[in-house]
Amino acid sequence: MQINTEELEFLVGNHDILCEMPQISVLPMFSDKIVAFLGALSRELLNDKRSKKFVDVISYAYWIRKASIEKNRDKHIDRKCRIGRGVAFHVAPSNVPVNFAVSMTSSMLAGNITLIRVSNKKFEQVDIICDAMNKLLEDEFNYLAGYICVIRYDHSDIITQELSDICDVRIVWGGNRTIREIRKAVLPPRAIEMTFADRHSIAVIDSDYYLLQDADEVAKGFYTDTYYTDQNACSSPRLVVWTGNKVEEARKLFWSKLGELAVKDYDMKPIQAVDKYTSFCTLGMGHKGMKLVSDDNYVVRIEVDNLYPELMEYKNSGGYFFEYYAGELDDIVPVLTKQCQTVSVLGIDKKDIRDIVYKYGVRGVDRIVLLGQTMGLEFIWDGYKMIENMSRFVYIGEYE
Amino acid sequence: MIDDFYKYNPYELDRSDKNQLLTNELVELTEFHNNRCPEYANFLEAVNYKKNSVNSVEDIPFFPVRLFKEYDLLSVKREDIFKVMTSSGTTGQSVSKIYVDKETAMIQQKVMIRILSDYWGKKRLPMIIVDTPAVLKDRQMFTARGAAILGLQVAAREMVYVLNDDMSLNNEKLDAFFEKYPDQPFIIFGFTFMVWKHFYQELKRNNHKYDMNKAWLMTGGGWKKLEADAVSREKFKNDINEICGIKHFIDHYGMVEQTGCIYAECEYGHLHASIFSDVIIRDFKDFSVCSHGRQGIIQVVSALPHSYPGHSLLTEDEGIVLGEDDCPCGRKGKYVKIIGRMQNAELRGCSDTYADKYRRT
Repeated sequence: MQINTEELEFLVGNHDILCEMPQISVLPMFSDKIVAFLGALSRELLNDKRSKKFVDVISYAYWIRKASIEKNRDKHIDRKCRIGRGVAFHVAPSNVPVNFAVSMTSSMLAGNITLIRVSNKKFEQVDIICDAMNKLLEDEFNYLAGYICVIRYDHSDIITQELSDICDVRIVWGGNRTIREIRKAVLPPRAIEMTFADRHSIAVIDSDYYLLQDADEVAKGFYTDTYYTDQNACSSPRLVVWTGNKVEEARKLFWSKLGELAVKDYDMKPIQAVDKYTSFCTLGMGHKGMKLVSDDNYVVRIEVDNLYPELMEYKNSGGYFFEYYAGELDDIVPVLTKQCQTVSVLGIDKKDIRDIVYKYGVRGVDRIVLLGQTMGLEFIWDGYKMIENMSRFVYIGEYE
Repeated sequence: MIDDFYKYNPYELDRSDKNQLLTNELVELTEFHNNRCPEYANFLEAVNYKKNSVNSVEDIPFFPVRLFKEYDLLSVKREDIFKVMTSSGTTGQSVSKIYVDKETAMIQQKVMIRILSDYWGKKRLPMIIVDTPAVLKDRQMFTARGAAILGLQVAAREMVYVLNDDMSLNNEKLDAFFEKYPDQPFIIFGFTFMVWKHFYQELKRNNHKYDMNKAWLMTGGGWKKLEADAVSREKFKNDINEICGIKHFIDHYGMVEQTGCIYAECEYGHLHASIFSDVIIRDFKDFSVCSHGRQGIIQVVSALPHSYPGHSLLTEDEGIVLGEDDCPCGRKGKYVKIIGRMQNAELRGCSDTYADKYRRT
């Protein structure tokens, strides 16, 4: 296997390991070796003093600790029939530092040989995780050294093609433009692809229920859902739908609590104020039935009097919310489009939302979670069961 | 009526008189565009504009300047468009399109002359343009550089472009200029970094001696590029004075969306708002008006735009109002300092961002 790797920077692994990848044996799903490696990685990360600054590194470390992985393993009841597909080539997103490791975790648990391209943007979180992996792979887990490379390279169609040529699974994290670029590189006939495109999400809150909760705690959870990632993650709610009888009272409290947090903790840049105002004006120039109801630029709220699919094309980030009062839960159907990923709920039964998805056969909604938990790490994402999708089912007439 | 403004000198009115004159005109313009530009009318509705609640210039809704990139905004019939001005856009970027009819073009020229004559007198002067004539090639679609040059044309006796298409200095043209106009006032105009790089540095390198004692060096286009090369405004002036002998410097701030209303620099280094326009600095946190001396987002208002709704714009620049009615140069009205273009925000998250889509130069 010949790959021109002069332009590659290796954060984990090296040129020889990369070239050998197509020849390495795949592993069974949830192999003990990998579970042990992830457990050790978790310990390394939690012991690294640098990790303390990074909530994302810490949550990742907890997510991959042995007990947590074993709990997830037990949910994969058909794992005995499953084995890795081969080389999994991941293209990680540029602005979510720890995402590469999350993608890698599913890939390794599926039994694959894992090759990850991380963003050229430097993040300390990436260094911390790669340092820990290197330490383990050089020593105790040397026998896994052939299974992983983490690389960087400047956008290059040629390199992307060379790496795609050796892969059996390609995993491309969004935005849509990246996916379009990467897809110029054709895949081998048997290879499969998983793409994580631009999505948006919404929240549904029952006003009566909300007023019985601790408003500060709810605000903290919603802040994590939104501002913590500049309200720019796929799972960040862009629209808040209210139901129930005390909507006015609930809204007032909810937004004022959130506003306090945003003013205190969110480092808004002046251009974001202009961006948000521009988005609002763009919407206003083409549509009736909306009004700006916010007091400042930290929490920009646009009240709309009806929901329609294109509304979400006018979304923005950094504290920009559409708000709608739904007489019936079914009113949300128009925004459950292909682009809609997560519906987070407070005081609404998750199953009621799923029932709507089934009743109307909408194309969107892959995930329904409680408000405040949209950022949770999961092995099921964007409608994929990640580990299953990256593995191969060896069928002997039985499912377990 | 814009004619009301012509009764005054451009820097004659103090705060309250100017506010009254400008507010009346802007309210009328808002109504005018409201009735003629449907997209703008929708905008006014969305921001809940009420004509009767306007008491001062600050109460006129501000329209995001970026929207001229996304919409064709006209308040006159398309067939009445005399020229389309565009912002400087590099390939692949969306550009602002400003639709100008004969009336607006005429007002722009008239105001430009009034403002400039307050600086160097009513006489039309010969002008050296530090640019290539190619910048104006396509008359229908010109850039900010081209627009600035064309705006000045009315104030020039003759314009001589002293750069070749490859940005090298054309010494023959310079020689001819100084032969034709010896020992008299003249203007040199160019964008700041071009004057520095293609004019000053070339003259310094060639050791060419011209008598520029009576020149007015007028610049535009901002300072970010030069500041990145550690050339401050002071260094710019000092070094150019040393090599070229130039004593009069007029920097200016202006934009294609409000051509004609420039903010020109006085001998104290302040950029002045004329009676035809004004600057309001807004706090990014809530768009409230910043007190003098505080940095914020620049809103510009102008009495000039009739064919397009550009009379009150929220820019993407930051600046500071340094004072009002009390500049030692004697000009009334606000005087400002321009900080420059706001920085793009580096957002987290996996989606393409809105800011990304409209990534600016």
